[in-house]
Amino acid sequence: MIALDGVTAHAGDFMLRDVTLSIAAGEWGIVLGPAGAGKTTLLETIAGVRRTSAGRVRLRGQDVTTQAPEARRVGMVYQHGYLFPHLSVEENVAYAADARAHVREVSERLGVEQLFDRPVASLSGGERQIVAVARALAPAPDILLLDEPFAALDPRRRARLRVELQRMHRERGMTVLHVTHDFTEAGTLGDIAVVLEAGRVVQVATPSVLFRKPATAAVADFLGADNVFAGQVTRSAASGISELDTLLFDGEGIRLTGVGSHGGGRGHAVIRGEDVVLARQHSMPSSARNVLEGTVAEVARQGVLARVTVAMGAATLVAVVTDASVRELQLAAGVVVVASVKATAVHVC
Amino acid sequence: MTRSAAHRTAAMSVMGGALILLALLVLPVAALVWRGGAEGVRQLGSDRALQHALVLTAAAATTATLVVVLLGTPLAYLLARNRMPGGSVVAALVELPLIIPHPVAGIALLLVFGRGSPIGAALARGGLGIVGSPLGIGLAMLFVAAPLYVSAAREAIARVEPRYEDVARTLGDTPWRAVRRVTLPLAKRGLFAAAVVMWARSVSEFGAIVILTYNPKVVSVLSYDRFTAFGLDAALPVAAVLVLLALVPLLVLRSLRSDGHVATSAQ
Repeated sequence: MIALDGVTAHAGDFMLRDVTLSIAAGEWGIVLGPAGAGKTTLLETIAGVRRTSAGRVRLRGQDVTTQAPEARRVGMVYQHGYLFPHLSVEENVAYAADARAHVREVSERLGVEQLFDRPVASLSGGERQIVAVARALAPAPDILLLDEPFAALDPRRRARLRVELQRMHRERGMTVLHVTHDFTEAGTLGDIAVVLEAGRVVQVATPSVLFRKPATAAVADFLGADNVFAGQVTRSAASGISELDTLLFDGEGIRLTGVGSHGGGRGHAVIRGEDVVLARQHSMPSSARNVLEGTVAEVARQGVLARVTVAMGAATLVAVVTDASVRELQLAAGVVVVASVKATAVHVC
Repeated sequence: MTRSAAHRTAAMSVMGGALILLALLVLPVAALVWRGGAEGVRQLGSDRALQHALVLTAAAATTATLVVVLLGTPLAYLLARNRMPGGSVVAALVELPLIIPHPVAGIALLLVFGRGSPIGAALARGGLGIVGSPLGIGLAMLFVAAPLYVSAAREAIARVEPRYEDVARTLGDTPWRAVRRVTLPLAKRGLFAAAVVMWARSVSEFGAIVILTYNPKVVSVLSYDRFTAFGLDAALPVAAVLVLLALVPLLVLRSLRSDGHVATSAQ
């Protein structure tokens, strides 16, 4: 279990501010955030490499705020690996291992054995990352901190390492906190996701909630939401039986109806491109609360999918549809289309 | 004048300037070795005073270097990692002996360790007299050459990415163990080079030694002594031997540098 309570830590001029989060024992936590958000500093603070100036860090339920890194028994993998260049690959993996058997097991499972005779300087970036992961796993830590460990790997190796790490995570019951920029990785691996921005935690949620309901427009933007509009939010009708209200959004030349929880006033409407349905003409009455007419400005094909940008006055709405839909609807620049979005797919934040 | 002709003239001017400087640096030393080298090597077999001076010089320089490696490496580490309170002031203080004329350094040492000073008197009572003893020679060498070691060692350690130590700490190493297992091995070439430079500087020291300990004589003092007592011809072989002695560490250093450099980054 990893828990931070109001943690503040410095890294040069950068400051991690008032960070509170909790990853339960055996969970796989994902840390997301733009460059410079403090992701590496967060891991270093948990590992004890960075000192906290306020707050408490708890590992396995125990307060380790003042403990040295070596006493915390946490495995950490930096993005660049930081393999010791004066040692062989084998010596690197065995650096902290208590038992030779652990070194052999981890090396076999991650495919590091074939690199044992190579000098560290001759390894590629991806190979260094795999060896660094093996080195961190060899002492069999129950908490593992990963700073973009797959960033330099080719897709085949990335998939293999991801699967193997998932297996080891399950077998050993490890608690993992994993910094990544890869949203697919976040979605497939993460039990819980933490979004950092400028040294602060802006959202903690399961990956599915995070992608569907980002807490702020900046989070939505960072997570690659296709449509983020700024405007005014009005609460239309309270349900009375839940925290959800019907919300009316007006901004950037678009009026939308959404469902959510918002106090009213300035806000943002977020719509994922996958939630936009396109038609060539108004169809029969449907349950979609938002039906908007516009003209196709651009069709960008991306394999089996296509991003269709629809101009609606000053605003544009992006829809992600299949290539087959583009062909059947004959979508092309200048074609008039009708876009439908369910109120439940309009996330107001 | 065409552009290529102007380039040729500029290149020749640079080359000419370099040759003049090289001649100024090399000619006196080459002349010394040319005139006295063979005789110096021959005298090594028979001249007992020269033999003693040579052994004393090498032993004192080696001892001073070992002491500074032992005491100076931790200091260099603290300075390199900015963990020394008032680090910039300490760094300036450590380098102070470099800008003091060496006879003045000898006088300063005499003030603190001379028989008339409390420390010098106490040491003399304990059988560790500084003035006129090999101990004084080692102390003078240490004083003038230690800054070279500490500065170069600090640079060598600073070149080792501190994150290697962080990684070692997350792998269970205590701070000292991380330094011993990671930082020192990665900085070892630089540290060795720093020690070699200090040793070479110690061997060639004269000014501070001559004030503190004229006798027993190191090679530099013996050379001066022969020059003042018997003239240039008598001093030449001794001086040439000193040059050859100083040349050894320089050659070692060159071979180290041409043998590659330490990997100090993650890439």
